[in-house]
Amino acid sequence: MGEVIVVTSGKGGVGKTTTTANIGAALAMQNKSVVVIDADIGLRNLDVVLGLENRIVYDLVDVVEGVCRLKQGLIRDKRFDGLHLLPAAQTKDKTAVSPKQMINLCKELKEMYDYVLVDCPAGIEQGFKNAIAGADRAIVVTTPEISAVRDADRIIGLLEAAEINNPMLIINRIRIEMVKKGDMMNIEDMTDILAIDLLGIVPDDEYIVISTNKGEPAVRDEKSMAGQAFRNIAKRLIGEEVPFMDLEIQEGFIGRLAKLFGISK
Amino acid sequence: MALKNNIEFKGTKDGLIIHFNEACEYEKLKEQLIEKIENARSFFKGARIAGIEGKSLSSNEESEIIDLINNRYGMIMVEKPITLSKKEEVFMGLDEGITRFIKSTVRSGIKIEFKGNLVIMGDVNPGAEVVAYGNIVVMGTLRGTAHAGANGNNKAFVSAIKLVPTQLRIGKFIARAPDNGCNDPKYPEKAFIKDDMIQIEPYITKSR
Repeated sequence: MGEVIVVTSGKGGVGKTTTTANIGAALAMQNKSVVVIDADIGLRNLDVVLGLENRIVYDLVDVVEGVCRLKQGLIRDKRFDGLHLLPAAQTKDKTAVSPKQMINLCKELKEMYDYVLVDCPAGIEQGFKNAIAGADRAIVVTTPEISAVRDADRIIGLLEAAEINNPMLIINRIRIEMVKKGDMMNIEDMTDILAIDLLGIVPDDEYIVISTNKGEPAVRDEKSMAGQAFRNIAKRLIGEEVPFMDLEIQEGFIGRLAKLFGISK
Repeated sequence: MALKNNIEFKGTKDGLIIHFNEACEYEKLKEQLIEKIENARSFFKGARIAGIEGKSLSSNEESEIIDLINNRYGMIMVEKPITLSKKEEVFMGLDEGITRFIKSTVRSGIKIEFKGNLVIMGDVNPGAEVVAYGNIVVMGTLRGTAHAGANGNNKAFVSAIKLVPTQLRIGKFIARAPDNGCNDPKYPEKAFIKDDMIQIEPYITKSR
């Protein structure tokens, strides 16, 4: 029996979809069976980030409406054997699915996979309610910006109200040199306000842009700092103790040299 | 006279079809049906009933009629579907047939469906879907998904000034874009089915 984890943030553009795709892929690399669900009906992206858009025949709405069988809706990833995608419908809207249908769907998928990751849409409306309906746990993604942290705080409150307790925090797109100069919120500031367990810190990484455009998850690239961070996050989800990455490696001559040769701690 | 017109029996090769007058109430129809069958019991005994049409019945009413047919008069109800819907025929107007023109670009999230040929005077973007029972002609770039011959005509084609779809479907066949993304045609192309496969060829064969 697997577990359902929803990836949410409140604010848009903080990296929910990238996080979902990369954690899903990283878990698959750890030989877990994973299904990622795109709950952002009408604005689907997860298929594009995973490079599976051209394989979509049926989608989430078709599955819950019974147009096709669940297995027909699932798309097998082209790189990772254990990874499957259930894409969102693009030509419908959030009202096409009800929380009850999502609960039933998650229940069924839990029986089949070790992990069910739900990519939540931005906002706190119907789409959010659908996405969290079947979830056992939650990952809250934020970036070091006041607006994102404010929204994350609201989301944590809503998750608790929905009895999804102890959400885990991922701080995305941090730039250590800016934090040092005092130009960016530091990690402690954020964990102080949000007061939930920190699951991971993901550095800002140009490679993410490239990987997103290519439809290749960054975790596949040994050189990508963000990829390394996501691999660590996946290990922590499984229950391994992995220390937080030393982000300072990016700085200085040695650090750059290390990066150049693909050595990352 | 009214009685005669409310229920009619039609003979088909699959068996009899009972036709109910839509305007008549169900109770009345039931009564009259019993009366009619009673009047010619020997004729109806063992008869095959292929369907009931004309009036939409609730599932309760439906099962009551089926019960009547099967158990009381020893007739045989063929198959399960009781309300015979008119079977949609495969669209045949590929060379000459009803056509819809869309005079704009079809953007992501829009699905255009037409029971005939479709002409798009613009692009079809990724995430958009155009579905036609007949041919699809895109007078621009086709980047989204297109499904021609959607109700089963495998002779339909999809053509575009620039044919780079996410996914193509013709009849029951599906093809998807190559994963390496190195697809950049320099001339108009058309996709059609040949040897049970979707094939793409330029449709202007000679350069001037």
